[in-house]
Amino acid sequence: MRKYTPTFLAVILFSVFSLSLAQKLTFWHYWDGANGQVLQNLIDQYQEENPGITIEAVFVPGSELVSKLQTAIAGRQTPTMAISDLVAMPFLTSSGALVALDDYISESNVDMSDYFAGPLVYGLRDGKRYSLPVSASNLALFWNKAIFAEAGLDPDTPPETWEELVEMAQIIKEKTGKWGYELFTQGGEGTSWQWQVFLWNKGGDVLSGDLSSPAFNSEAGFEALQFWVDLIDEYEVSTVAPWGLFGRGEAAMVMDGSWMTQFFPMQVNFELGSAVFPYPEGGEIATNMGGEQIFIFNTDPETQQAAWNFIEWFSSTPVQVEWDRGTGFIPIKESVANDSTYIAWVKNARPLLLPFVESMPYANPRPPVTKYPQISDTLANYIVEALYGRMSPQEALNTAAQEAAPLLR
Amino acid sequence: MTLSRPQVHNEGRAKRPTFMRTFKNLPIALFFLLPTVVILGTFNFYPALYSLYLSFFEWNGVSPKRPFVGLDNYQRLFSSSEFWNSLQVTVIYAAAMTVAALALGMIVAVLLNQDIRGRALYRALYFLPVITPTVAAGVVWKYLFDPSQGVINRFLAGSGITGPSWLTDPSWALVAIVIVGVWKRVGFNMVVYLAALQGVPRIYYEAAQLDGASPWQRFRFVTLPLLAPSTFFLTVTALIDAFQVFDLVYVMTQGGPLKSTDVIGYYLYRYGFRYYELGFASAIAYVMFALIFVVTLIQFRLSRGGAQGEN
Repeated sequence: MRKYTPTFLAVILFSVFSLSLAQKLTFWHYWDGANGQVLQNLIDQYQEENPGITIEAVFVPGSELVSKLQTAIAGRQTPTMAISDLVAMPFLTSSGALVALDDYISESNVDMSDYFAGPLVYGLRDGKRYSLPVSASNLALFWNKAIFAEAGLDPDTPPETWEELVEMAQIIKEKTGKWGYELFTQGGEGTSWQWQVFLWNKGGDVLSGDLSSPAFNSEAGFEALQFWVDLIDEYEVSTVAPWGLFGRGEAAMVMDGSWMTQFFPMQVNFELGSAVFPYPEGGEIATNMGGEQIFIFNTDPETQQAAWNFIEWFSSTPVQVEWDRGTGFIPIKESVANDSTYIAWVKNARPLLLPFVESMPYANPRPPVTKYPQISDTLANYIVEALYGRMSPQEALNTAAQEAAPLLR
Repeated sequence: MTLSRPQVHNEGRAKRPTFMRTFKNLPIALFFLLPTVVILGTFNFYPALYSLYLSFFEWNGVSPKRPFVGLDNYQRLFSSSEFWNSLQVTVIYAAAMTVAALALGMIVAVLLNQDIRGRALYRALYFLPVITPTVAAGVVWKYLFDPSQGVINRFLAGSGITGPSWLTDPSWALVAIVIVGVWKRVGFNMVVYLAALQGVPRIYYEAAQLDGASPWQRFRFVTLPLLAPSTFFLTVTALIDAFQVFDLVYVMTQGGPLKSTDVIGYYLYRYGFRYYELGFASAIAYVMFALIFVVTLIQFRLSRGGAQGEN
């Protein structure tokens, strides 16, 4: 027995010693499948470059992440850092549990002017920044080349304007009997965030500049909603139906997300193209934007610093190039979007993604307010009222604004 | 006879020791109850009471600011047209689903109580939906209800009927949810009715037959009254279930179109988990609780009245 004692002691001492050196950071995220693997590979690389730091990436399903974080904050059992869908950022910053990043940023090599403006409006509270964008996705036009050819249209020329979209959709409807354009008519965020693109196309905005009142019930809003109603009633190229017509080859055009450049080719049996979303003559190019933000929870200065070091590395251009190539996410920084390796990869491996990357400078953020989900549902609900012909676009948007206004106080 | 006396004697003497023994066993009994008490207390009673407490606050679940608002949440709830819409939708769903599932369950049970070939298979088939996960069933039904590609409308088209667009039609979406709710409930009702039917003595039917009762009269005056206790039990449980319906709506319609399927369960989910209004959502939950409580109370009253009337 005694023979082992010194060894035993040495082992314990060594463990204590190395534990005090090694720093373990937990990182909650919802990137599954291939994306999760890309993240793990990057973390492995970081750990190799930084001995003594262990990052434990914990996968939490996307639908549960925010409520898990909510529980973690309430129970003071937060991870070191986490990501979240950008829409939840105003909610998360309201917790007071996140670390302000301004000092870390100013002392680091992170160049804020390199970021696209859109994602940067999230994570701000009382003039301080609590999160950084790490990935993005956005919306653009997909078209079915087979239907275009069947209707006698050039399968390689998508519409550039709303007017062309209507014109082509009508030809398609007439020649093939198929729907020209698929609208998201089921309400909720799907309807809301697609319609916002049309609103921005017309030069409108969702909320007033100071985010204190609804602004979607403007002339731009009425025209954008009238356009949706006209697609159904006037031009008869769209219909109120469960989402999925385009994927089944029953509609020729659709607005969908950058992630579909990966999924559509696996799901559909027709050739498809993608393009920057059409805008009205005299209007503006626009798209909506999703994506994730990364943030650190309040702990001790050393742990926070260690977490920041990882974030700084993860946000660096070479790592982001790797990240976006592996995941198909849209670059959040201009230096990544203009990186020659990245562009070469898009052109060769994922040409459908190119219009999305090009759309990023025109990506508008959904209003970064805590009550956004409720405002969005309200807006979507009245958009659907107009699509079902129960209200005029003016009446629908004015009522929605009336209901949304108290939520912003 | 000789054996019975010492027994009586023993019982008489054992009375006090038995009481003592019960008392002595109390700690052990409590010990065995402990897991249940702790688990129920931690995961049911404490959260339920905490939720009542939260219903008097305005809180998003993470903010350090949590102002006390008294009865504001309740006041806001009762003055909200959304709430009354949800209540109406829920009541319609509950009533339609409960009545239809009771009637169908009884019919199926009576039919499958007869000597027909393969009845074990039929019973199993009717029970299958009960054990099918609701979310999975909802997804499949969503496909079945698709207006252009769905099996249901294709079948209807085959019989020369243009089917409605179901889940996207505000006047049909709730009907579709009721259909799935009934489909999921019938098997359970059938099993309970079958068990009750097994307990009906044959002699009653024989007596009725001797009195010249027709098959319908035998059903109406023998089977139906004898199934009344089961009917009562099934009505109560079905209504409680129906008032809490959430998953079907979540999967199939998300409360739409135009809030035509925005049942209270989904309304509560929206406020609690999409809009982060825990105080308001707790108030919804308590109003829902009160509602189910009152409905059940009324049913107990009615059933007692019914039983007395029969006597």
